[in-house]
Amino acid sequence: MYLPDFEYYAPTSLWEACGLLAQFGPRVKVIAGGTDVLPKMKQDILAPEVLVSLKNLSQLTDIFYKKGKGMVIGARATHNNLVNSPALQEKYLSICEAAHHMANNQIRNTGTVGGNIVNAVPSADLPPILIALGAVVKLFGTDGERTVLLEEFFTGPGKTVLKQNEILTEIVIPDQSFTGSTYIKFGLRRSGALAVVGVAVAVSMQGDICKEARIVLGAVAPVPMRAKKAEELLKGKAVTQELLEEIGVCAAGESKPISDIRGSAEYRKDMVRVFTKRALSKAIKEGHC
Amino acid sequence: MEEKTRTSYTEYKPEEISEFKIKDEKYSVIGKSVPKMDGRVKVTGQAKYTGDLKFPNMLVGKILHSPYAHAKILSIDTSAAEKLPGVKAVITHKDVPSLKYGISPARWDENIFCIDKVRYVGDKVAAVAAIDEDTVYKALKLIKVEYEELPAVFDPIEAMKEGAPQVHDEYPGNINTEIHQNFGDVEQAFKDAYYVRTDRFVGNRTYHAPIEPHSAISIWEDGKLTVYCSTQSPHYFQYYIAREFGMKMGDVRVLKTFVGGGFGGKLEPTALEFAGAVLARMTGRPVKMFYDRAEMFTHNRGRHKVVMEITTGVDKNGKILGVHANFVQDGGAYTSLGIATAYYAGAMLTLTYDFVNYKFDMTRVYTNLPACGAQRGHGAPQPRYAFECHLDHVAEHLGIDPIELRLRNARRPNTITPNEFGVQSCEMKACLEKAREISGWQDKKGKLPKGRGIGIATGSFVTGAGYPIYRTDLPHASAMIKVHEDGTAATLYTGATDIGQGSDTILCQMAAEAMGFTYDNMKIVTADTETTPHDFGAYASRQTLMSGSAVKQAGEEVKAQVLEMASVLMEVDVDNLDCRDAVVYCKSNPEIRKTFGEVARTFFVKRGPLVGRGVYAPPKLGGKFKGAPVGTSPAYSFAAQISEVEIDEETGEINVKEVWDVHDCGMVINPALLHAQVHGALYMGMGETVWEEVVFDNKGKLLNGNLGEYRMPTSLDMPKIVSELVESSEPAGPWGVKEVGEGATIPTMGCFSNAIYDAMGVRVSSLPLSYEKVWRALKEKREKEGIQK
Repeated sequence: MYLPDFEYYAPTSLWEACGLLAQFGPRVKVIAGGTDVLPKMKQDILAPEVLVSLKNLSQLTDIFYKKGKGMVIGARATHNNLVNSPALQEKYLSICEAAHHMANNQIRNTGTVGGNIVNAVPSADLPPILIALGAVVKLFGTDGERTVLLEEFFTGPGKTVLKQNEILTEIVIPDQSFTGSTYIKFGLRRSGALAVVGVAVAVSMQGDICKEARIVLGAVAPVPMRAKKAEELLKGKAVTQELLEEIGVCAAGESKPISDIRGSAEYRKDMVRVFTKRALSKAIKEGHC
Repeated sequence: MEEKTRTSYTEYKPEEISEFKIKDEKYSVIGKSVPKMDGRVKVTGQAKYTGDLKFPNMLVGKILHSPYAHAKILSIDTSAAEKLPGVKAVITHKDVPSLKYGISPARWDENIFCIDKVRYVGDKVAAVAAIDEDTVYKALKLIKVEYEELPAVFDPIEAMKEGAPQVHDEYPGNINTEIHQNFGDVEQAFKDAYYVRTDRFVGNRTYHAPIEPHSAISIWEDGKLTVYCSTQSPHYFQYYIAREFGMKMGDVRVLKTFVGGGFGGKLEPTALEFAGAVLARMTGRPVKMFYDRAEMFTHNRGRHKVVMEITTGVDKNGKILGVHANFVQDGGAYTSLGIATAYYAGAMLTLTYDFVNYKFDMTRVYTNLPACGAQRGHGAPQPRYAFECHLDHVAEHLGIDPIELRLRNARRPNTITPNEFGVQSCEMKACLEKAREISGWQDKKGKLPKGRGIGIATGSFVTGAGYPIYRTDLPHASAMIKVHEDGTAATLYTGATDIGQGSDTILCQMAAEAMGFTYDNMKIVTADTETTPHDFGAYASRQTLMSGSAVKQAGEEVKAQVLEMASVLMEVDVDNLDCRDAVVYCKSNPEIRKTFGEVARTFFVKRGPLVGRGVYAPPKLGGKFKGAPVGTSPAYSFAAQISEVEIDEETGEINVKEVWDVHDCGMVINPALLHAQVHGALYMGMGETVWEEVVFDNKGKLLNGNLGEYRMPTSLDMPKIVSELVESSEPAGPWGVKEVGEGATIPTMGCFSNAIYDAMGVRVSSLPLSYEKVWRALKEKREKEGIQK
């Protein structure tokens, strides 16, 4: 395990960064926290000749609420920046909690939210809750800037709509009508474990009637997926334990897991059932977004 | 400036003894939780491990490993690697001795580099030495090896079948070791029994995963080889390195640096030492070799996976009449210490319960996977898990409480096992009773809410092996103490090997106690084959008793000389003198006294070095049957463990609520270190029970050679641990000591498995008891109950 040779740039502007991406084409890789790129290079899975670090783009770490726009999370914010952000703690505690249960403290101090998204690992912890809250990502490139719904960002394991010369700069969570949200990660130990199943939900409750719901599943399909049939099933109904059980079964049916070292497809499907039920129950009960 | 520096140190003043009072306590140094000898240097980062060391002109070396589980080597082309600037040597089997090695003398089956074929993914093919790490890794990629892939076998049961791929031509049927032992008359016992039951369990491949990766630095100077390494036994390293290269042992010096854990995995020399020595000789420069984390997993030598069938016959009251253990072990591609592991697997089953009829059949099988060896509890934990789970089924059938069944069979002191191990101190019964009491067993067993369970298991372990690994009449341990010329300090020299467990600390406590000296003024030099007297090292939980015996003797020899000198100086009869806490005093009038330092200094001035020596060899132990030596020991520890768990019945997730460990380990030298050993052993046993398993793909390639996917428990997963002792003293040990380091791992798998069974009402009969296996078992149980309804 050693890091092969590479050229290294740490540009001070986004323009410069994107220029480097355009210049080096497929030979370049963007690096933020490095918790994924560097191990992959050591293991010979990635072999970029050039690394462009975002470390000098400090504006990308800000997390703030802007009226009319929503909650803005800089792509280079670390997982612990998310955990400790007063703005997120006030408005979206579920995001803080999702970040808090990622990996271990050392990784949380280094790894970034943008990295967690662009890596497009099916088991990633942040995309499900961000999708549940309708997050939009801003992509900056030499051809200009565009925004994409996070739900439409992923195209397959390790694959996204991000173009070669683009950099993900921020995540925006629009103001919304959901009354509660949560993310539950099911891993095989209490720290330092990848999700076997991750379930994020957002619900809009009026009394005990669920007016609207989003259910997003991680680690059970090539990309984070919405369980839309289950969402429909919940919509407009009075929530009972039996209904939640039924919705869990429905979501499990929608999931398309594979078997791997962390669990069989059969087990994962049943865990979708269990954790969809539990996540909905928690989001309805606790109420915060 | 100079003035200031000097005044910042307090000036040393000769000791005052006015505060000295003879304490009522029996001992002045042992039995106390003194601070660990190496605690400060470790937490401040001053302690240097082999990987931290640098020597002038040192090269870096790495080994090229096989990508195939089983393949013929057709050709090796090293020319491109040799041409790379910075590369100083590239070696293959042609450049090294072809003599086969291994740590088990009965089966030397490993070459430094493979000659005709590779036998597992990770087998050793070539090595490179270069000026830095970058160059070494680049050079490894430039070595071209042409392979012809062969069919491979990964399952021990498959490997025994006719027509299975042969791992070694010399061992037909892939049979590495076959054991058939029969004591008493098991067949008759089963005929006489009220109830005979057979259960089958399967263990898991686990790995020690010490925090410090293996590392070795080899240096040649004028025909002498010096090796700094991460080792549990400088002696065995020295012996096998000398043997491999046809050298005199005196021309090989092996030194241990600080070691970050071994757990059995650093007992035998590896290709790092062998290839490193060759590379260093060829280049004339020091060479540092090391494994990275994934390479540690492929080198392995960890716990064997055992397939275990166990049959017990009992009378109506649950008294065990006879036991038959029928096991198969997956040994991997080489023997390592596996022959001993195979014998231990059966030998240790006879310890905690008293029965006379015992039959043990075992086959250790070669497969195309990394070689297995010794891991904390050496061979015993998985069979013990099987036996303890099995006994719970027996108890359940008879309607007897599991602790009651164990109490009825518990071994008593001064007894002999069917396989002829003499047991002196043994508080098995007291351990069980105390564990029952402190865990609240009687209020919990059968009374816990749904999803909660409580389980018990026992364990026992050797306090040092009765015989060394290779045949020799060398004593097992020796020690030397040299008191500093001015009497202010004493240095203990011993081959005993501290790998983090704290032997330096307890041996210094023992030395100070025996000398009548103080712990604070003890220094220690250990584990260097040139400067320290011989000791076999850290394995089989041997050092407290064996090295401790030698240290005690050395300390007493120092004390006798000090008292004799004091007798002359003080004009008091030597029989009327004693020494404690570095004060020599007159027994009949303690006001008449001198400091140890003063007497020792005078000794040096008048007579020369004040030195004490000690040596230890166990008495002749064990029976005469084949394999009789394995499992013999001067003393055995005993333990009972109870755990309480909670199961999430929907997910199978296991939450360990609390664990109680009660140990009979004789006199305790350092209670803090002892309880730390219990915590560590439990941690390891718990991981192996629920989370840890080394996994391979269908080509024999390791899938989880990292600490992310090889899931050892984290601090968040650890339960509350209650570690308690029972009163005990062992006649064979200095001051009555016995082992604890490995014994506490032995009951853990069984005790967790029984608690999980208690919570679920259905048995998962293979390790690890992963959440998914628990989930599946519960699902099948519900389905079965549904059908019955």
